[in-house]
Amino acid sequence: MQYALLAYAPQEDTDRAPRPVPGVLAALLDRPNVTGWARLHADESATTLRHDDGRMLLTDGPFIDSKEYLAGLFLIEADNLDGALVIAQELLLQTRPGVAIEVRPILDGRFRGA
Amino acid sequence: MVLDAVFRDQWGRVLATLVGILGDIELAEDAAAEAFAIAAERWPRDGEPANPVGWLITTARNSAIDQLRRQQVLAAKTTLLIRDLEAGPQPPEALMDDAATIPDERLELIFTCCHPALAFETQVALTLRTLGGLSTDEIALAFLVPFETMSKRLTRAKHKIRDAGIPFAVPPDHQLPDRLAAVLAVVYLIFNQGWGGGRVDLAAEAIHLGRALAGLMPDEPEVLALLALMLLHDARKAARLRDGQLVPLDDQDRTLWDTRQIDEGRALLQRAMTRRRTGPYLLQAAIADLYLYQPRDWRQIAALYETLTQQTGSPIVEMNRAIAVAEIDGPEAGLAILDRLDLDHYRYFHSTRADLLRRAGRRSEAHHAYRRALDLAQTEPEQRFLQDRLAATGEPYAEAARPAPAPARRAGRSVRLRPGQAPRTTPGFVGSGGGVLQTLLS
Repeated sequence: MQYALLAYAPQEDTDRAPRPVPGVLAALLDRPNVTGWARLHADESATTLRHDDGRMLLTDGPFIDSKEYLAGLFLIEADNLDGALVIAQELLLQTRPGVAIEVRPILDGRFRGA
Repeated sequence: MVLDAVFRDQWGRVLATLVGILGDIELAEDAAAEAFAIAAERWPRDGEPANPVGWLITTARNSAIDQLRRQQVLAAKTTLLIRDLEAGPQPPEALMDDAATIPDERLELIFTCCHPALAFETQVALTLRTLGGLSTDEIALAFLVPFETMSKRLTRAKHKIRDAGIPFAVPPDHQLPDRLAAVLAVVYLIFNQGWGGGRVDLAAEAIHLGRALAGLMPDEPEVLALLALMLLHDARKAARLRDGQLVPLDDQDRTLWDTRQIDEGRALLQRAMTRRRTGPYLLQAAIADLYLYQPRDWRQIAALYETLTQQTGSPIVEMNRAIAVAEIDGPEAGLAILDRLDLDHYRYFHSTRADLLRRAGRRSEAHHAYRRALDLAQTEPEQRFLQDRLAATGEPYAEAARPAPAPARRAGRSVRLRPGQAPRTTPGFVGSGGGVLQTLLS
């Protein structure tokens, strides 16, 4: 079986970009059963895409959780946010109605594939 | 002082080049601010350098290198950046001497600031800060929000641009129409906000930005048309108010109109029209121009509004068409159009409706509509104008019914930049109508 572990953090004022992953955690992340991990930029850097009746709607900020549930995640590579948004749009067009995709930059991470 | 002029004209230019070099708006801003501060100290003493822009960019670039060193946040990336900077293709001396070699990257910067992944209010604030060189304080004042709120909004935006990788680039052709529409919407909103009588001259700021854009994109009809539109409106600024009272267009002292600005607007409009593409700003500029003539060609105005409605689907434009139709076929014909519109939240809807009701002799309905307009009015001259009209519609104006002056509430309300009217997600026609409508009101 494969599992996704989703980590949620309280709001913080500090910029986490220059802060390294703590040593003990880094060691855990290097274990063979951790097949990949990503540390994300704060949710202030997020952009949310919705598909509404043929129009793509962009919102500045994270997806605000209401009745929706977290259904999956994609890891993509792009030159910049515009490139990421193009890919996100393509994916979103193929998902069920009502799906939203939050595009969040990855701060650092490692992927071995599954 | 010399530096003020340079500052106004060159802040955006210097900052854009620095963002291009440093790849980070916050860093570029700090460095630019330091360079301008050094200039303020040295230029009066040593004289202005031959190439002020080059001097400022070089000084800022050096200051950025120093700052990066000082911070010692020497991640590999930063080290590379310093190396790139020091080995940059343009040695400081070259920058100092030859202004022609410095690329003007203000377009890249404005497209970054008006990126659709940023909230519309944020785009506006950021554009004023980066391209306009307004201080955070001034922007906060202009939009009636506390300094801390504005400061946070700007900082967050700069971080998002950096962290999310919002590109510093002019969009490719297939995206350009939508993205340009967003930029123009930001400039036009700044202009319209400037008409609200705030403490910062945002109208002048918007025209300044419009001029820069017209210089950078001289072949885009909508860019030229937006500048024309703003100039044609702004030309009547001196005549709009008399003793703190709004003066309707037809009562304005035409000798107070800035004819040079009107000529410039008309010339731009002509240039835009030769491109044979009709966009919303071109239509609005053409309408604004038609309003300046006496007698007014209401049929042509109504026809242009109709085209504009088709292009934009905006009920506010349709409301303006109703005014033109009322001039042609009488107030009841205009009211028939208004009755189909869902604009209850819009303050000018009620003043427009009140005016037509008054002219149709429906006094009591007019009175109610004026009262509703007064409830929603945002500036003092507007309130005074409406109070006079309310009084003129006859019914005694009960003091008790007067909406309590609640500055806090009003401030809170005007913080929102035209709620619902300028959805950032709808590229194209945003913030429409306000300017056109003001032609009518005053």
